[in-house]
Amino acid sequence: MKIRGDIIRTYQSIHTWTGIITGLVLFIGFYAGSLTMFKPAIEQWATPTVQELLQIPAIKLDQLINEAAKQQEKVKQGFIINFDENSSPMMWYEKGGGRGLRLDDQLKHATLNEYDQLVSYQGEKNMLGSLIDQLHRTAGIVGKVGHEDLGVLILGIAAGLYFLALISGVIFLLPTLVKSLFALRQNKGASRFWLDSHNLIGVVSLPFHFIIAWTAVVFALHDPFYGGLSVVYGDKPLFERAAPGKTSYDFSSLPPMQQYIDKVAELAPNHTLHLLDFSRLDTTSPSLAIEVKANDQLMRGGYSDIIYMNPFTMEVEYSTVYNEHNSNYGPIVTSFFGLHFGNYAGNLGRWVYFIMGLLGAFLFYSGNLLWLEKRRKKQQQQSKSSKVMAALTIGVCFGSILGVVVSMLASKWLYIYSTQTNIYYLYLYYVSFFAAIGYCLWRGAARGAIHIQLCLAFACLAIVATTIAGYLLPHLELASTFQQKNYFVELIAFVFAMLFFVSAKKTKKRATQGDKHSVWAIAPDKAKQVNQAIEVNTTT
Amino acid sequence: MTNNTVTKIQPHWWRKSLLGVFLGLSFAYSLVALFAWYGPGGIDADIKVQFNMWIISPIWLTIIAFTFMFKTAKQAFLYLASANLISYTLFFALRYTV
Repeated sequence: MKIRGDIIRTYQSIHTWTGIITGLVLFIGFYAGSLTMFKPAIEQWATPTVQELLQIPAIKLDQLINEAAKQQEKVKQGFIINFDENSSPMMWYEKGGGRGLRLDDQLKHATLNEYDQLVSYQGEKNMLGSLIDQLHRTAGIVGKVGHEDLGVLILGIAAGLYFLALISGVIFLLPTLVKSLFALRQNKGASRFWLDSHNLIGVVSLPFHFIIAWTAVVFALHDPFYGGLSVVYGDKPLFERAAPGKTSYDFSSLPPMQQYIDKVAELAPNHTLHLLDFSRLDTTSPSLAIEVKANDQLMRGGYSDIIYMNPFTMEVEYSTVYNEHNSNYGPIVTSFFGLHFGNYAGNLGRWVYFIMGLLGAFLFYSGNLLWLEKRRKKQQQQSKSSKVMAALTIGVCFGSILGVVVSMLASKWLYIYSTQTNIYYLYLYYVSFFAAIGYCLWRGAARGAIHIQLCLAFACLAIVATTIAGYLLPHLELASTFQQKNYFVELIAFVFAMLFFVSAKKTKKRATQGDKHSVWAIAPDKAKQVNQAIEVNTTT
Repeated sequence: MTNNTVTKIQPHWWRKSLLGVFLGLSFAYSLVALFAWYGPGGIDADIKVQFNMWIISPIWLTIIAFTFMFKTAKQAFLYLASANLISYTLFFALRYTV
């Protein structure tokens, strides 16, 4: 396919600049997004087993609720009934609750023992998965604009530029696409290999990337878009708002749980009931949020569809479970959400999204490397800005991963030695992140890349070692506190430890034996010291 | 093909970007407005407001991307402004006469 040279040059510039501006925040968004595919599994892995109390038959739920309400005033405001076999049957917030991210929520778990007596346990709600999700949505950028996170808005704009980068990338690649798409030219030098893999991954996963870019823009900026739409709608209201209720209800008039179970079976016959979340029961606008799951179809939330109803009258207020009678547009909108969340093909689909997300992160990382290499060819001497950009690329990308890995590594130890786990996740993340950036700026990108990848490898191995230590050293009470049903986290940590080791080795080889003028090169005399340092590292 | 330089794309980065962002957004809204009122289901269809909100950004971003195909910023302005004029005229004509 032939395209005029001036068009190609124009779109090459657009691709380069949108990519360079957004690459670093999008890298974090993508790799953290990959991890959120397994958010419930990560939180389960990090939550002490004692917090999850035994399930009871559904027929006993009313008795449990009555017992709890008799003993605890808080229950009369709201509570959660969980039908998942790995969760406590009943929970309520002693502190916090509601929407938003808080690190000091105290959640009370309750069940009935064999004599039908109330058993309860109060603990801090583990937020590891939620914090990774927050990192995915904000790239770790703190601050608020109105009620929205600054990081969310920045990522929304970055996603818009990323949409432009995708279109421009396709336009300027078209002429050479067929010829060189599947050519991974390893023999033509490192930068050619990076370019070929960047193009191959970009083109093969293009539909995924368009979907993610578009949905991310909408998730972040839906408020302004609705604002504009209200002008278009004129006198028509965008949403029917229910008039605030005037009736107050008595807690004792709450219908028995079996009625909700029957109602959900009727409303969502293809879903399974996951949980009932009762809130504001003591106000005139009580609410019940019902989460229902279906493993093989698109869902509105990450892991569930949702039905809102008045808990006393059981009148449905809003539902994302659609059928052919109530909406043509509902299922289409749900598919937009589901395509971002990757929830439509069970665990297999989540693994595919996990890998696609990591490949996406690789796309931004390799894009930055390509740009740095290209700039270098134009200028024989390394400019200061190239060095800083290289250091930032390594520091931000690997530093962010290091922050998450260190938080995961520390998680179980924090539970044994302290109770304020969630806040320490934050400290550990930001200290690791900024330390990595600082180290790269101080010692240069080449050394930073080698040393931080080694740190990552060791930290990943230490996650595995922690689990093994739990079994070998029973007095630490690690294994008894965290009784694991599977070892996926350890398996993935081990795989990544190996990847980081290999990658650190390759980076070192390039730094010492590659092109001396590259930003990735270490001057020969100093390279020797690094060599020794690495040998010391790997032998200890 | 004597004046080859004239037919080449002039960068005009800032002007084209701003035109794409503002006129592109207003044009995207005009298309969504036509769809919202006169597309399948009309203005009152259930959940349609969410669908309408969703399709603004892909239309907008695609317009921005292709704004750089115009040879000059002036040309970009002429085409985008005319597109806006036509679609808003159509929208208001339908809205207040039909």
